[in-house]
Amino acid sequence: MSGLATVVRRLPQTNWTAARAMLRSEARLLARNPAVVIWTAILPVAASIILGAIPGVRAPSHTLGGLSFFQVYQPILVFFAITLLALQALPDVLTRYREMGVLKRLRTTPVSPAVLLCAQLVLIFAVAVGCMLLMVIVPALVGASWPRNPGGFLVTYLLGAWAMLGLGMLVASLFHNAKVAAGFGSFLFFVLQFFAGLWWQRPEMPSWLRHVSDVTPSGAAVQGLVDTSLGHWPSTLHLVVLVVWGIVTSRLAVRFFSWE
Amino acid sequence: MPVIEVADLRKVYGERTVVDGVSFSVEQGEIFGVLGPNGAGKTTMVECIGGLRRRDGGSIRVAGMDPADEGVAFRSALGIQLQESRLPDKMSVEEALNLYASFYPEPHDPNVLLERLGLVEQRRTYFAKLSGGQKQRLSVALALIGNPRVAILDELTTGLDPVARREVWDLLEDLRGTGVTLLLVSHFMEEAERLCDRVIVIDHGRIIAADTPEGLAANVAADQRMSFSPSTSFDLGILEALPDVHGVTAAGERVTVTGTDNVASAVIIALHERGISVGRLRVDQPSLDDAFVALTREDVGARTEGTVAR
Repeated sequence: MSGLATVVRRLPQTNWTAARAMLRSEARLLARNPAVVIWTAILPVAASIILGAIPGVRAPSHTLGGLSFFQVYQPILVFFAITLLALQALPDVLTRYREMGVLKRLRTTPVSPAVLLCAQLVLIFAVAVGCMLLMVIVPALVGASWPRNPGGFLVTYLLGAWAMLGLGMLVASLFHNAKVAAGFGSFLFFVLQFFAGLWWQRPEMPSWLRHVSDVTPSGAAVQGLVDTSLGHWPSTLHLVVLVVWGIVTSRLAVRFFSWE
Repeated sequence: MPVIEVADLRKVYGERTVVDGVSFSVEQGEIFGVLGPNGAGKTTMVECIGGLRRRDGGSIRVAGMDPADEGVAFRSALGIQLQESRLPDKMSVEEALNLYASFYPEPHDPNVLLERLGLVEQRRTYFAKLSGGQKQRLSVALALIGNPRVAILDELTTGLDPVARREVWDLLEDLRGTGVTLLLVSHFMEEAERLCDRVIVIDHGRIIAADTPEGLAANVAADQRMSFSPSTSFDLGILEALPDVHGVTAAGERVTVTGTDNVASAVIIALHERGISVGRLRVDQPSLDDAFVALTREDVGARTEGTVAR
């Protein structure tokens, strides 16, 4: 029985009291197991704040096509946080809940386990947005620049987050063993960070590699964030790439997710 | 009117028929046992009844509803305790009950259930810190929190130590007469003997017996069994000659005799006449355990013969 598809159709009948109780309960559990979130959030947040505070890093650099080191790295770090949360924290929780029989147990109640999935998505997304705000606001307060096109920055971020959370859900759908899911999540994380330019900045990539990077969700999102930081709008190509990744991963996750 | 009606239920996995034409009905308020050896198809059957698996044939009505429709009304009328289902480690007893209570239109008061299940002291204890018996009692509580008409409890006491097992049994005995119908899945005969009003025995996906636990035990042509330590050693042939005796074995000091209902008095009299007294005497009635072993063995026998005949 492919449960999630049926559930999506029945969404209007959702019991909101139960959904709120579930969200509260999951938030409490997350607060009691803060390690995952802290370790995912602390590195990118700390790095972007430190980078933003060093004047030399804020100066334009020739090797980066006239951009400053901070301007190149802040978007990478913002995306680093959501990727880590979506590809590590999310599949970890969901596959463990499946292994423990929590999802199957919920199926026996009038409330669908999809409510639990949504609660997890909301929480992970909220933590990611919190990290993003810290990474934008704190460096700006210590002297780095604000994104010059905040609306475009936000749109790009939301589409990128959608693609990453969809990918994380897909990992949780395809792998039933929590350890295998975590391993595959890490692998995907490093691949995506490579295309985002964590080790080899996009302006320095050979053009063929940059074209490949353009159609990956991380490459498209990071370039979109860089463009909007500088006051431009993200290119249509990058927005389309993110939307396609979002739709495809979400649809596949809904199709393949099983409760047990 | 029965609250659970199952007719000709069938479930097939590939080539294997796991549930093969099972029919039974359960009245409101009954404690009904589904017994059978491991792998007999019990869990698959109750998961069909609980709406967790789609059946391949037959019909099921629970409280007038078909589980295949998976409606909210169906899930509100039914509570299920699943085999091997855990809660998040750091969820407390009270939090779990409150959370599950929020799922149902007319739940029980979590505080009343805590009291009834003897979990008041553990209300703030995390799931991971509960003992096995406490976890199972919480699991029963979660199956009952929605105020269901029917609760399915699957292998509730498997893996519990004897003390914890008795705790759970006491709890279920307390539920008798509250109007809730319990469908109890077990491979544990003592459990069924103590709790169930009626039982069915399932093997290879089919019902091989249906009766009260006492009726089932009585219908098995099992011998009475006595064992004792004689005051001095003697020739076992003395006992074998008695008409009531079917078999005699000796192991160390201890002599075990099987035979008819009169075997105990016949043996004691025969030995007394020879000046031998009978120490540490033990006489066992055929129990549900014996019935179960006899039934499942007959079933295997019938199958083997069937194969040969073909």
